[in-house]
Amino acid sequence: MRGFGGLESVIMHMVWDHDGPVTVRELFDELRQERAIAYTTVMSTMDNLHRKGWLDRAKAGKAYRYTAVASREEYSARLMQEALAGGGDTEAVLSHFVAHMDGAESEVLRSVVRRLAGGRPA
Amino acid sequence: MTAALVVLGYALALAWLVPAPLARLTAAGIGARPGLAAWLTAMASALACAAVALRLLAGAAVAGWPRLAEAVCRSVAGRACAPVVYRSAFFEVPLAVAAVLALLTAAVLAWRYGRSVQRAQRRARAHARAARIAARPLPGAGTALVLDAPQAAAYCVPGRPAAIVLTSGALAVLDAAQLTAVLAHERAHLAGRHHLLISLTRGLAAALPGVPLFTRGPAAVARLAEMCADDVAVRQAGRGTLLAALLAMGTGAAVPATALAVTAGPVTARVHRLLDPPRRARQARYRAALVAVTLLLAGASALVIAFAVPLAAHALAA
Repeated sequence: MRGFGGLESVIMHMVWDHDGPVTVRELFDELRQERAIAYTTVMSTMDNLHRKGWLDRAKAGKAYRYTAVASREEYSARLMQEALAGGGDTEAVLSHFVAHMDGAESEVLRSVVRRLAGGRPA
Repeated sequence: MTAALVVLGYALALAWLVPAPLARLTAAGIGARPGLAAWLTAMASALACAAVALRLLAGAAVAGWPRLAEAVCRSVAGRACAPVVYRSAFFEVPLAVAAVLALLTAAVLAWRYGRSVQRAQRRARAHARAARIAARPLPGAGTALVLDAPQAAAYCVPGRPAAIVLTSGALAVLDAAQLTAVLAHERAHLAGRHHLLISLTRGLAAALPGVPLFTRGPAAVARLAEMCADDVAVRQAGRGTLLAALLAMGTGAAVPATALAVTAGPVTARVHRLLDPPRRARQARYRAALVAVTLLLAGASALVIAFAVPLAAHALAA
């Protein structure tokens, strides 16, 4: 099974898949159908996610009800923005399969594709 | 003194004269690995020679200082200039100032280098942590993650553990074979530790702005690293497949896997060498030329240092 970091991801995706707020108990009940897991593991993982700023929580009776701070799409968009920002420090460490291209360069690629599609030899 | 100046001149020549021809020789990426070696050797040689030259110059300056001070003192005060005067602390002050300035310069360079490298690392780590939570694992692809985003993008984030991130937009335009090619390319970056080469050269460029060898180095090294990764992907997935993947990702539209012919940016250069791979003979010539350049650079620098150091020592002893 994946490590602890993997569990954070699994739980975030479960929270995103839920419409409203969820409790540790609800997620634990879902999770234990597919894997052997302890209630306290789920609880501490959600606590971690709260500490790291991924989950909001509000007291409801004895338990906390958790909601995602931002939607999956918002996080993805933010990461993409970071990854695609050319010229920054991020560029130094993220090796893109296709680097950021200027207009002329992407036009050249498009023309290659057109030629390919036309089946015309170069 | 002369020996030190010769080494310094050589280092400056490396830093100013080598980048343009080397860029031309490596532009097409024929022999990407020897090309990478040539660039790194040129940079290491220039740095080593500059360091040796500065060390020798400092030695000569320290040794020659009393005589210089004496000459200056006599030209101003004539016979009245006694050893007591020119050997006093008054003349040692400029020397101390020069030493402090040299140390400060070194500290600034080191700080700039360190800041550049560290910032990049911190960003990468934060990015990988967030990606590992927000993305889902790509089934059957080990460390690969899929991020829900419409743009077609694929990249790797170095670190422990490293991650390869693909967008759902990328999966939409790649077929299974092309996906294998993209993953092979990114894994080659991680296995080859290309991010270390890139952050090293970017750090040097940040520390030494205005020196052509170092300002042009990062782009050349990044471009050649891409091509090295392409070569690995070609061996695993085939040239046509990688080309189709590159075009699909570059244009954001699916491309049928067929091979064909094109043109000056880093991506088009990669496309070009995949479309129109050089004949074996030409490839061998380029490789031989680049290996020769690398050996020449390393050999010449070693010789210059090997001759200059004893000469300078001899001059000091005389």
